[in-house]
Amino acid sequence: MSAHDHHAGALPPEPEKATLEGRNKILGFWLFLGAETVLFGTLFSAYLAFRNSVLDGPRPEELFQLPMTFIMTVALLVSSLTSVFAVQAMHRHKTGPMLGWLAVTIALGALFLGMEIYEFNEYVHEGHRFTTSAFSSAFYSLVGFHGAHVAFGILWIGLVILQILKKGLTVVTAPKVYVSAIYWHFIDVVWVFIFTVVYLMGKV
Amino acid sequence: MTENHSATGPQTQRHRVEGPQKHIVVFILSMVLTIIAFAAVAAGKVNKLFVIFLLLGMAIVQAFAQMAFWMHMKDRGHLFPIITIVGGVFVVIMLVALALLWTWW
Repeated sequence: MSAHDHHAGALPPEPEKATLEGRNKILGFWLFLGAETVLFGTLFSAYLAFRNSVLDGPRPEELFQLPMTFIMTVALLVSSLTSVFAVQAMHRHKTGPMLGWLAVTIALGALFLGMEIYEFNEYVHEGHRFTTSAFSSAFYSLVGFHGAHVAFGILWIGLVILQILKKGLTVVTAPKVYVSAIYWHFIDVVWVFIFTVVYLMGKV
Repeated sequence: MTENHSATGPQTQRHRVEGPQKHIVVFILSMVLTIIAFAAVAAGKVNKLFVIFLLLGMAIVQAFAQMAFWMHMKDRGHLFPIITIVGGVFVVIMLVALALLWTWW
């Protein structure tokens, strides 16, 4: 299939599920997300166990700045919606708008990540380092691991954009868009529990 | 497992391309729940246990809506995704319960 061979008629309505390989890719990805759920669960349980073990370091309520967390939350939530729009554009075989929405998604992800790096940097200046206390270790493990997932998602969706620019939207590239969107939603859902359990419940 | 997806047969069902309305409703719901959550904590001086249960309840509602609509888990042929996520959540509940039992009692 040549780079420009993706006229609307040639693609099925749900190109991500048109081939067995595409369907298997999505199926396998859900298995991975089940494992990711457990992985984040272990980090959440460690955080819940150690959240009061602060030694001489700062307590959660002294550390967290809710306005900052709120802006980060909105950025990630909007980026999750824009990746929905990207998949919808894909279902309409509109490659241009799809790439646009994917670009907005990674831009918002980068905004989130930049704010998180700024936040961690502030915390370190306030004496909240990785090795300060069991609380700080559990906090950086959980929130940092989520941030690493965002960073990976930005890289991944960025590469998917580049590949589609090169090869066009086909039954081979469509599952990649779909799966990376599912990943991005998953990261947003994990963040819902992080801002609730870590930031908000730390302030209650 | 693959029979879940066999419904994608003849490629003539153009009506299957869904509009953005439902997804925008989920977005607004998520925004409203998020704002209520932050406002409830910012307001302070409320019953602590009540706020914690309110926060958890709203997070679960928001997560449910996003997984059902944005991750398409409510759609046909998504039994396997439901099994993997429910299985994962089952283990998470045990892990969290264990951590809390270990530290509180």
